[in-house]
Amino acid sequence: MTTSAPEPLLTLSNVNTFYGQAQVHFDLSITVARGHIVCLLGGNASGKSTTMKIILGLVKPRSGEVTFDGASLVGLTTPQIVRRGIASVPEARRLFADMSVRENILMGAFVRNDREAIAQDLDRMLTLFPKLGQRLSQRAGSLSGGEQQMVAMARALMSRPRMIVMDEPTMGLSPLYVDRVLELIRTINQEGVSVFMVEQNASLALEIAHEAYVLQTGKIVLSGPARALKDDPRIRDAYLGGSEAA
Amino acid sequence: MSSWLDYTINGLIVGNVYALVAVGLALIFGVSRLINFAQGSIYLVGAYVGWVAVVQLHTPLPLTIIVVAASAALVGLIIERFGLRPLQNSVRIAPLLATIGISFVLDQLVMLTFSPNPRALPSQLPDVRFQVGGGTIGPLDLLIAGVGITSALLLFVFLRYSKLGWAVRAASQDRDAAMQMGVDVNRVNQAVFGIAAALGGVSGMLVGMYYNQIDTAMSLQATLKGVVAEVVGGAGNVPGAVVGSLLLGLVESYGVAVFGTSYRNLFAFLLLVVVLVLRPNGLFASARQAPPEPLTGTFIAPSRPMRIPRWALAVAAAIFAILPLFPVSFYVLQTLINAWLLGMLALSLTLVAGTIGQVSLGHAALLAIGAYTSALLSLTFSVPVGLAIIGGGLMSAALGTTLISPSFRLRGHYVSIATLAIGEIVSLVILNWEGVTRGPIGISGIPPLSLFGYDLISPNSIYWFSFAVMVVLALLQGRLLTSHLGRSFRAIRDDDIAARAYGLSLNRYKSLAFIFGGFAAGISGGIAAHLYSYINHETFNTQQSILALTVVILGGLGNVVGAILGSVALVGLPELFRIAAEYRILIYGIVLLLLVRFRPQGLLGTI
Repeated sequence: MTTSAPEPLLTLSNVNTFYGQAQVHFDLSITVARGHIVCLLGGNASGKSTTMKIILGLVKPRSGEVTFDGASLVGLTTPQIVRRGIASVPEARRLFADMSVRENILMGAFVRNDREAIAQDLDRMLTLFPKLGQRLSQRAGSLSGGEQQMVAMARALMSRPRMIVMDEPTMGLSPLYVDRVLELIRTINQEGVSVFMVEQNASLALEIAHEAYVLQTGKIVLSGPARALKDDPRIRDAYLGGSEAA
Repeated sequence: MSSWLDYTINGLIVGNVYALVAVGLALIFGVSRLINFAQGSIYLVGAYVGWVAVVQLHTPLPLTIIVVAASAALVGLIIERFGLRPLQNSVRIAPLLATIGISFVLDQLVMLTFSPNPRALPSQLPDVRFQVGGGTIGPLDLLIAGVGITSALLLFVFLRYSKLGWAVRAASQDRDAAMQMGVDVNRVNQAVFGIAAALGGVSGMLVGMYYNQIDTAMSLQATLKGVVAEVVGGAGNVPGAVVGSLLLGLVESYGVAVFGTSYRNLFAFLLLVVVLVLRPNGLFASARQAPPEPLTGTFIAPSRPMRIPRWALAVAAAIFAILPLFPVSFYVLQTLINAWLLGMLALSLTLVAGTIGQVSLGHAALLAIGAYTSALLSLTFSVPVGLAIIGGGLMSAALGTTLISPSFRLRGHYVSIATLAIGEIVSLVILNWEGVTRGPIGISGIPPLSLFGYDLISPNSIYWFSFAVMVVLALLQGRLLTSHLGRSFRAIRDDDIAARAYGLSLNRYKSLAFIFGGFAAGISGGIAAHLYSYINHETFNTQQSILALTVVILGGLGNVVGAILGSVALVGLPELFRIAAEYRILIYGIVLLLLVRFRPQGLLGTI
């Protein structure tokens, strides 16, 4: 972990998003530095998941700019964005329930064509997630929540992404798996993949993140290095909806 | 005993043909959650392309199959690209309505090109039969079985081992997640439509060869059979579709063996209704599996209905009321009488499909029930015509609601399929229940309209009578919509779960809507019977159901004035421009397509 800020990989600047008449984001600006873990905190309906959908091109902002590695992502389709090097671990994992675990993991390599390297990467995933080895031919839908989270992470890594975006990776997991997932996120990051994660569980997320943003009803009310935010009383205020936090 | 083996072979062969249609439907449903009502039209195109190849170009059989598959696939790709892709972000039922419009257009184009007369489609295969056990089997049977098995194998290999096949499977399980893996869903849709169309086209050609006859009526029947097989197997389930098809083929074949040919289709639709009611997810869906989608979403485009001041409506009504006093031709009056009769049906459908959101595709059945009841009451029991018509309305309300009630627990697309099937069942029962309905001969010599002992024979009196009845029904319905009941209907349409949570009994309100709607449609059918003086099981057909649906979408769903305006427009404009009858269906199809795409709220807006 370095304290100096490296160059940005992903930036959202002045993004305004609407669902019909309702505004979801107000001049949202977020930067993910190359090689960093950045987490976006916030309560329900704060616009966290929509932020992820904006990055992936699933929702189009009404105004503002999204750039990845210096190039704009606005107007690209989701598959095009994935091909630029962004992989996702969606909320509630969203595995292909009737496909086998092996097929699910290999679907992550859909944008690649280098068969041999893909096979090697599959082996690498089995060392990273040893439990999946015995499960390869099982239906993905038959796994436990924690195991499914492992599959979702392996699937995301299979595209050899430069960045992974994760929507509430610890949601609904047993405490044992929560620790394991956080540890894995750190491992992935140390291998050079930048991580942008959306979380409700602030104390956990701040343990592994470099920077954090706190989103409240579509506005960033707090941001900075994770270490500084960990002890900041305003974090609690933001969660409880204290208006003086801004 | 030999005949039973023959019926079994026949059932399996026909089932194979259905499977080619149903597998395509299942693939499309899997990826797009769409029931493609244009599948039968592609089958029709395949049959006619096959005819051109065999009879005019004298191509050898393997080449014929390739030509048919390629042309049908091309049609499928065009449908996907220009008919459906623009509707991706539209309400769920929009693509379904679009495929109905597309099927009208394609069927009519084939009919205009080749004429509606049946043609022979020789199979080019030697006419020999081999003894197998106690039955016989011919080269064509083997060809059909071979094509079926080969297609299934190819499809299996494609889905299991090719990259695009994986994309198809992933997209059908979770479309958004597949996109996040980099799957281009448009390409998947293209692939699926191309494959489905190729299979459907080859199926049409094989059926044409099997019966050595093709005609344009094949289309709707093929769609219906494919849908039945697919739903029986479990919507979106490809192996299920194959099993469902073979089952359907056997059920039909044995049914024909026991009861006779005219019952063939009845079994298919009864099977569908039974499966929909008892196991809406199909026979092979595991119990824990959730339905493929909530499939809610009627065709209500958010819009602000156009407010027409009361005085303007009153003036318009007055003008139409005094119209016969002016020197207008008989022809104009006749056209408007048709519009008023269609208007009553549209009032009924706009209430059912618009206000309470149950998109019915079998509304013509309500006309038929009203017409037969009124005709038989006046003929057999000498009931005065005025009363007989009311009797028709009441019977339609009661019987229609009873018949439709098993589908009350269904939602979205399934309601449309069930109502379509129930409509076909009514028509088939009329055809087969000779003791009451006089079967295929129909009912002739129905007494003319009369009221309080006075015959209404002059065009003016018929005009006034039908106009007055329609206005009364419209006023009643307008009153209904502003009442508490109307609000409850719309609540159920907009969110049936929330409505139920607030204590609304869905079954009761759906029944009330169908009772009122059934009455209006039954009255329309009753009047029509006395006007036409002859009716049979084909007088009120699916085309009319779809025409009524186009009318109410044109007017704005749920909109009473819109339903009447839509009727006048769709009946009147083709007359005004003197469009030949055979082009009219084509125009209705195009109107439906354009509306779904560009003005889903209709002319006057949804209510």
